[in-house]
Amino acid sequence: MPTTDLLGRPTTEVEDELLELYGRCKALLAREDLAPCVRAGARVATVGLWNAVNDLALTSEQLLDLGA
Amino acid sequence: MGAGEYWNPKTETLGRDELTALQLAKLRRLCEWAAARSPFYQRSFREAGFDPGRLRTLDDLRRLPMLTREEWMASQGEQPPFGLLPVAGREAAIRWHTTSGTTGREPIRVLDSAKDWAWQAEMWCYGLWGFGVRPADTAYVAFGYGSFIGFWGLHYGMEKMGVLNVPGGAQTTEGRVKQVVDFGATVVASTPTYALRLAQEAERLGVDLAASPVQRLILSGEPAGSIPQTKALIERLWGARAGDTAGMTEIGTIMIFECSHQPGGTHIIEDHYIEEVVDPASGEPVGYGEAGERVVTSFGRGIIPLLRYRTADLVARVPAARCSCGRGFDLYEGGILGRVDDMKLVRGTNVYPRAVEGIVREFPAVEEFQLLLTREGHFDRIALRVEPAPGVTDEAWADMAERLAKALAEAHEGLRFEVERAAPGELPRFELKARRTVDRRDTPIGG
Repeated sequence: MPTTDLLGRPTTEVEDELLELYGRCKALLAREDLAPCVRAGARVATVGLWNAVNDLALTSEQLLDLGA
Repeated sequence: MGAGEYWNPKTETLGRDELTALQLAKLRRLCEWAAARSPFYQRSFREAGFDPGRLRTLDDLRRLPMLTREEWMASQGEQPPFGLLPVAGREAAIRWHTTSGTTGREPIRVLDSAKDWAWQAEMWCYGLWGFGVRPADTAYVAFGYGSFIGFWGLHYGMEKMGVLNVPGGAQTTEGRVKQVVDFGATVVASTPTYALRLAQEAERLGVDLAASPVQRLILSGEPAGSIPQTKALIERLWGARAGDTAGMTEIGTIMIFECSHQPGGTHIIEDHYIEEVVDPASGEPVGYGEAGERVVTSFGRGIIPLLRYRTADLVARVPAARCSCGRGFDLYEGGILGRVDDMKLVRGTNVYPRAVEGIVREFPAVEEFQLLLTREGHFDRIALRVEPAPGVTDEAWADMAERLAKALAEAHEGLRFEVERAAPGELPRFELKARRTVDRRDTPIGG
């Protein structure tokens, strides 16, 4: 998990929590044993958190390989 | 100004150096993504000898050729229906939209993944929040919800912010006016032209919109949202503040918005885009305050990476300090000034539709108008066809026509505009992008 943002500044406590949640959502979405209802929900959650980490300049990445 | 004024306080208040550093970091990733996945950019990078790994400064971006709409459309022809730009096919997407088709050309077709679509709503949130829309608002979206991308992103942005959203889908203008009032809308989203049409319809129905709860209008889809005379007219008729935004199907959402300080321009969402302004002829960058063509690089859309896209929008960039809101985002003074190719040459005089509209909107009795250019022999003729409001007498019309002709001539080096009265309901009405300039000079005889 990154400890600095894209500007090289140390991440804050809120940003650390956000990054951790985002990472966990991505890991969940990458699993192949999810029921359709779980996959759909995990995708919505991941995309929502992606917007937050992207806005806060914590990461800049694509999610197509995770189906989002 | 408090942090509550910004949707994203962290990046909206960055200084120039930090914004540049952020853009460079995002640009590297975007170029790597495009090089790895997009057939179009693989070819383009190879032909330009461009290696994303050697991107050192934002100036290096200029080593990439600009992308034109014609190239995009040619790519669609080469590999229908979406062309070579996308990194994935329809199986990866959740939305398929097209350009509006108002120019009569084949539309550009775009795909969006779930993430891309959510990002597009996010860009609207920057603008909506920045203009003062809040979760307690009730928003009425006067939009037909078709395959044109239009206000779709605004709709989802409103929902994301927690705004009570009323989709004013396919129905009559009268029906929409009634719903704006019945639902107690505090925010209305529409094109500038349609905001005027709603106001005209309200007047016909005896509805006083200025006495309604509407406090804000979110305008998009036409440059008129930043034409001072048009904006003033809309604000007066609605008794509300009007905020301009602009976007395009090619990026899927908005890239500029007017903040609540209404500085006479629109902020560029610079943490999500690189916007260059270039001389349309040479492609060389122009300085602050100089009009030029917008060239956009967008970091948001994953399926269709967009690097250095020539928009044909005419803009003049000014520093962020021009606005008192505290954002670090530069502005386009006067929003989108027009299209690079919409200037008309009439008997040696340049005529800009935006300038004409600015004059026409100073005449509140004008209900609708059209600029008609024809050729008789070797003589170009320019006529302003006007549909006055109901109740305008012949005497009042004669006076108005004379004053309009005089004002137009004075603004155009003495060029004579023939001002003609059109019959009630004769001129076309528009819900989306208005097309008020009709140039028939190239139409063959009998065509």
